[in-house]
Amino acid sequence: MSVGFIGAGQLAQALVRGFSVAGVIATHRITASSPDTELPTVQQLRKMGVNFTTSNKETVSRSDVLFLAVKPHIIPFVLDEIGPDIEDRHLIVSCAAGVTISSIEKKLQQYRTSPKVMRCMTNTPVVVREGATVYATGTHAEVEDGKLLEQLMASVGYCTEVEEDLIDAVTGLSGSGPAYAFLAVDALADGGVKMGLPRRLAVRLGAQALLGAARMLLDSEQHPGQLKDNVCSPGGATIHALHVMESGGFRSLLINAVEASCVRTRELQFLADQEKISPAAIKKTTLDKVLQQPGVTADAVGVRTRGLSIFNNTNPRIKKN
Amino acid sequence: MSVGFIGAGQLAHALVKGFTAAASGVIAAHRITASSPDTDLPTVTGLRKMGVNLTTSNKETVNRSDVLFLAVKPHIIPFVLDEIGPDIEDRHLIVSCAAGVTISSIEKKLLQHRSTPRVMRCMTNTPVVVREGATVYATGTHAEVEDGKLLEQLMASVGFCTEVEEDLIDAVTGLSGSGPAYAFTALDALADGGVKMGLPRRLAVRLGAQALLGAAKMLLDSEQHPGQLKDNVCSPGGATIHALHFLESGGFRSLLINAVEASCIRTRELQFLADQERISPAAIKKTTLDKVLQQPGVAVGGDAGGNGRSGLNLFNNRTSGVKKKN
Repeated sequence: MSVGFIGAGQLAQALVRGFSVAGVIATHRITASSPDTELPTVQQLRKMGVNFTTSNKETVSRSDVLFLAVKPHIIPFVLDEIGPDIEDRHLIVSCAAGVTISSIEKKLQQYRTSPKVMRCMTNTPVVVREGATVYATGTHAEVEDGKLLEQLMASVGYCTEVEEDLIDAVTGLSGSGPAYAFLAVDALADGGVKMGLPRRLAVRLGAQALLGAARMLLDSEQHPGQLKDNVCSPGGATIHALHVMESGGFRSLLINAVEASCVRTRELQFLADQEKISPAAIKKTTLDKVLQQPGVTADAVGVRTRGLSIFNNTNPRIKKN
Repeated sequence: MSVGFIGAGQLAHALVKGFTAAASGVIAAHRITASSPDTDLPTVTGLRKMGVNLTTSNKETVNRSDVLFLAVKPHIIPFVLDEIGPDIEDRHLIVSCAAGVTISSIEKKLLQHRSTPRVMRCMTNTPVVVREGATVYATGTHAEVEDGKLLEQLMASVGFCTEVEEDLIDAVTGLSGSGPAYAFTALDALADGGVKMGLPRRLAVRLGAQALLGAAKMLLDSEQHPGQLKDNVCSPGGATIHALHFLESGGFRSLLINAVEASCIRTRELQFLADQERISPAAIKKTTLDKVLQQPGVAVGGDAGGNGRSGLNLFNNRTSGVKKKN
């Protein structure tokens, strides 16, 4: 089995690193493509033994499982470009936040009657094989496809299937979650330094405390509130600290964060479904590079003077030169 | 080598569970003894199930151990030291896990019975139970380098462990001692957020915990600054940076700094109260005190009418040696 990545950025790099450490696939069976060869992640992928190319079509030809690991607004360009090259064997897995399975299937159905599409939402800790991934299955994907994806993603962390309508909420929680944690450790370390600890030790202890607590929760059947109770001895230091946190609305801030990330994800999806996106949203150099790829023309990818139409059914097929 | 625990509560239970964990157990359960006057604690049952030798006699624990963990609440420490002081031998390494109790206060007590008591002090946390603890320790006047290495070997089997100067331990209490409670609170709230946006509760708890665990592991395995790792996951105009703005607007970071500070200050306060050398009997639950007093060899203070005094003297140099009851 071969795996391909359209896109060679943070996500592709994190997944490849996780997969290769897990030993679930050899890096020489992985291909990744990107128009931008200067990215630091491209260097990392090369170092790991991945086959790197600037041609998305080449990635498609060399792969059975194809991850779409580009930013959401690039997805339609990519689908127009590779649509004609998709074969029956291909399993397309989109990792793009807010891009629906139906929008992808709609695009690919111009080229193929039953494209096998899945959608997943993962997060960066896949790089240390402690990711959190959910996936939803498209109309034409088989049970075996789900199992295959689950096998891949379970090698780099937790993975479970969900209904597609939950994926935006997952984005808000575990997709963005690591950022909340990095912020928290930075602040905890500041607290430790304020009270006299050297910075390195403070960061280490803060991260270790979070890791240990999370591990306890995952390994326990108990409610987080019960675990919290267990560590608050009467009149002790910890309950004093918790009072300060509650007074400041700590819990509410985290609920707000999950909500804000989820709402923004839905917003981005809505904008995409509107089927118009300003050219300014596509960095010109990236667009130029995409247009330079053999087989891709401006019309075919829907570049118009006033705006770009994405997911527009009236697109003519890609013109082959 | 045998290990003993004075006290058979949450801490003893968590440490024993970690130490005896299957594949990499650093010591077998039958070489561990734990004592407590209260045999009804659920942790006592748990310890028994793990194969630990249970007793109500602290003296028996001392006799059966080389490394002796003091795993009782801080205000009980002086009673324990008075009780076991005469039984400490040269081989014993005393490791106090009590928040806010200084090495010098322990050494002062034990010096009544022994000229060079080997004392160490550690601050750990509950995730030792899943072998992901965070432990620091400080070395007392008469403890040897080998003692430090031995303790470090024990504690490193259940998580991160490093030696520090004793004056840092209160700050460590505020950070990693109390830290798991901050995390459990955060996880409860994150799950609430997920449920608000439509996720089933179990999945929300699972994903929240996994996200925190993964991020913490990334940080521990990386040389990068947490701020850099945060930047890496915030794509321009994306969902995550929108979420972060909410956290910053609400002073999320400040709340965590406040928490570490509050826990550290309270720890120092408790230490100060102990050093004051007076503690009201009301602070000792009467049933516990009664049970402790029933132990052979233990008496209150030096007065005949000990229970009638308005306070108990702790760490009081004038306390006469423990009266052996006939």
